[in-house]
Amino acid sequence: MRTLLHDERLRPWLLLAPALTVVGVLAGGAIVQAAVRSVSPVRGSGETGLTLSAYRSLLADPELPRSLLLTLYLATTSTLLAVVLGIAAALALRQVAARSRWLTTVFQLPLPIPHVVGAVAVLALLGQSGLFSRIAGSAGLIDDAASFPALVFDPLAIGILAEYTWKEVPFVGIVALALLRSSRVTEQEAAARSLGAGPWQRLRHVTLPLVLPGVLSVAVIVFAFSFGAFEVPLLLGASFPETLPVMAFRRHTDISLAARPEALALSLLMAAVAVACVALAMRVARRTIREEGR
Amino acid sequence: MTAITLTSLTKRYGTITAVDDVDLTLPDGEITALLGPSGCGKTTTLKLIGGLLTPTAGTVAFDGIDQRDVRAEHRGAVMVFQDHLLFPYLSVGDNVAFGLRMRGVGARQRRRQAEEMLARVGLPDTADRHPDELSGGQRQRVALARALVVEPRVLLLDEPLASLDPHLRDGMRELILDIQREEQVTTVVVTHDQEEAAVLADRVAIMFDGRIAQVGTARELHDRPADAEVARFLGSPNLLPGVRSGRIVETAAGALEVPHGTAQDGPVLVTIRPEAIVVAPASGPNILAGRVRDARDLGARVQVTVAVGDTQLTLVTRPDALRALLPGSDVRIRLPADALWAMPAPDPAAELAFRQDVVEGVAPVDAGTRTQGAADADR
Amino acid sequence: MTATATPLPPAQPRRTATGRGRHLRDDTGRSWTARVVVTVVIAGILLPLVPLLLSSFARGYFHPQVVPETWSLRAWQIALGPGAATWSALVASVVVAGVVSLISLALGLPAGRALGLYRFRGRRVVEFLLLAPVLVPPIAIAIGLHGVFLRLGLTGSVTAVVLVHLVPVLPYVVLILAGAFANLDPAFEDQARSLGAGRLAVLWTVTLPSIAPGLVTAALFGFLVSWGQYALTLVIGGGRVVTLPILIFASASGGDTAVTSALALFATLPALAILLINAHAVRDRAAPLGGVR
Repeated sequence: MRTLLHDERLRPWLLLAPALTVVGVLAGGAIVQAAVRSVSPVRGSGETGLTLSAYRSLLADPELPRSLLLTLYLATTSTLLAVVLGIAAALALRQVAARSRWLTTVFQLPLPIPHVVGAVAVLALLGQSGLFSRIAGSAGLIDDAASFPALVFDPLAIGILAEYTWKEVPFVGIVALALLRSSRVTEQEAAARSLGAGPWQRLRHVTLPLVLPGVLSVAVIVFAFSFGAFEVPLLLGASFPETLPVMAFRRHTDISLAARPEALALSLLMAAVAVACVALAMRVARRTIREEGR
Repeated sequence: MTAITLTSLTKRYGTITAVDDVDLTLPDGEITALLGPSGCGKTTTLKLIGGLLTPTAGTVAFDGIDQRDVRAEHRGAVMVFQDHLLFPYLSVGDNVAFGLRMRGVGARQRRRQAEEMLARVGLPDTADRHPDELSGGQRQRVALARALVVEPRVLLLDEPLASLDPHLRDGMRELILDIQREEQVTTVVVTHDQEEAAVLADRVAIMFDGRIAQVGTARELHDRPADAEVARFLGSPNLLPGVRSGRIVETAAGALEVPHGTAQDGPVLVTIRPEAIVVAPASGPNILAGRVRDARDLGARVQVTVAVGDTQLTLVTRPDALRALLPGSDVRIRLPADALWAMPAPDPAAELAFRQDVVEGVAPVDAGTRTQGAADADR
Repeated sequence: MTATATPLPPAQPRRTATGRGRHLRDDTGRSWTARVVVTVVIAGILLPLVPLLLSSFARGYFHPQVVPETWSLRAWQIALGPGAATWSALVASVVVAGVVSLISLALGLPAGRALGLYRFRGRRVVEFLLLAPVLVPPIAIAIGLHGVFLRLGLTGSVTAVVLVHLVPVLPYVVLILAGAFANLDPAFEDQARSLGAGRLAVLWTVTLPSIAPGLVTAALFGFLVSWGQYALTLVIGGGRVVTLPILIFASASGGDTAVTSALALFATLPALAILLINAHAVRDRAAPLGGVR
């Protein structure tokens, strides 16, 4: 054991072993279980051996493509909103809030608040009996609550996007702010200024190229979150189409046992789509950043 | 109190051998310097002595007792690192008292001893300061105090002067010597600077590629290098290949009487320090006729390059000789026989590699022009 | 530990003969835009909390009232009364998040050390393997693990919820700690050992103090990620482990709006306290909560 512990090459692996084991057993276990059970016949169905019937009936469901589109729309839109607004907010905060730790702290306020709370708050703000509707009613713009435009449970999923934006802009923003305040960025900006670059030129050619790679890794997390979010669309989304996670949960809790393998199949599908999207986005983004750098 | 014996000491990382079969005895109460270029394994050796690394093979013994199973924290061999490494979240006093705290000494006693030791290194009334408030030289003194306060059996100093500005080095050097003289603690100093080794150490062990090349006093190494590599590292520019028969070595520059060094007939390498070469108008033994290639005024002295046939020799002389040594003028130089030293001829492959290094300007040519302060890469 | 850039003093352009005055004016112009943007952003962050406050203190809060006609503490009394489900949910949330955070630290310290201090072959693969579970939708993990835990008889237990919360929490904790270890010079540990510190003493007197900011961030981050979980708790807890998000969701989908608002606000309080403490504790050190690298 002594020699084993002193082998420098084995050392990091021994240190990593506990964490990797736990993550591997839990996440790996979940995926393996989903894979195995999704192709196992349901008890009492009379089928034996392996079956792809869960996948077949899942793919035959006309709701699936619409759910997939909705989920991808939400994930993409909210990621773009979070990145653009997050960077803008960070740039503004760097100018203004350097003196005030309070502004930065308030900016981070949504970070530790559970999404369930965010969803409840958005409902109380944008819902038909929400604050905006009340203001519109008091101002005589609408006759009653029902005539307030649907911002929640709506096809464009504005309520869901609002909640994601509220939570994720500070997340992206705080990382971008840390990058913006790093000496690496400020020194390069000063160098560009001394070379005669104006504020917009500095932003376009110096600041953004330096900050984007770091923001990208956060954007990946935002995308993965929005794609897999469950409670927010469940509270704020229309009943049709549902996002993929909601759809999976409905099948998981369906009274018909036959729906269980479909829930597992859908889980695997979601995992695959999420990882594929992230891989693709990172490739595209890396290439774009590299070309920008030229 | 403690003599250190290294026996076949070896440390390998994968395929790289950092310390290669080192046998060395470090006498009780003396200062020994481990001198060598970056990456030669000297700091690794220091850490092996201190127990911070475990040898791949071989042993470290204190007073004949194998330290294999004695952990670093129980060896009493305290290391002072190049970058002082004061804990930034502790005050200066708490830093100095750290080792005492680890030994279970009570708070009041710790405080008293720390203050005494700080006074001893010339920093009284600094115990409540933060390390950031001290200068680089003061921090290095605190680091030394922190090591000394636990009354170590062995003091291990890693480049103790390298991170200091030149004008601070003398003070630190005096401090180390004073304290060592009083405490008589066996001390090992790692350095890449031959002057530092010469001033601090009783004995110098010179290391290349994980091996000990030569052990001796600084004077012995300087005048009588064991081989070409040692001579070059110590900055000897004059290396003349030749063939010995009896007292005479036949070199490309001419026949020289070389009474010292390798006595065996056959190929040898002859060296002489630049300051030993005499500009000599007369004729006699070991006098060569050449032409001045270049003369550089270095202020306190003049460095002259003389071509004797195809051989170049470098000599150092007084500035008033400069006028007589214009480039292109003929000159006669004498290589005193007692200053010449013959070494075994290096194998041809190593020699070729070295010549290329010289062409590319990598190898050291003169002690004065070598870059100083290069950090030891094997830390 | 990046030093915060010193801001230019508030706009009072010095008109000097050099180009300096122009540069200052240049910044002043931008800072007005910046002030507008910051005001909008801060307003947008605080705005959703306003209707929660209004409705939680209202009685008979009928449309189109904006400011309630009658104020009342009724909703708060129901939400926080003795014997209200809120208190047991609070205990469940704190226990789960606390235990998850502690386990993640215990597992994350060695792993973070490996990733932060060692260069080894396969390091990038490990980082990917650690991050992959974060990318997978939690509901997929929950549905998959549901079957496993069912067979182990763990579903519906706090243990099962703690285990499943480790999936999203542990990777973040490891990565934050890896960032902290990357700034640690291991020579400090050698120095302590050389001065007589044993392994535990080195950990306690050198390693942990050196990575303290990262350690605090990791612990808080882990706590908060677990604190906000809904999907994992719902599926694995099977309705028997009721944390605050579970309680709020149940109340939101069919309960009293005022009480839901009160519950929602209550659930933000511990999180806000942590945020304030953290903002205070890690001041002048860049990247507090969001500092995942």
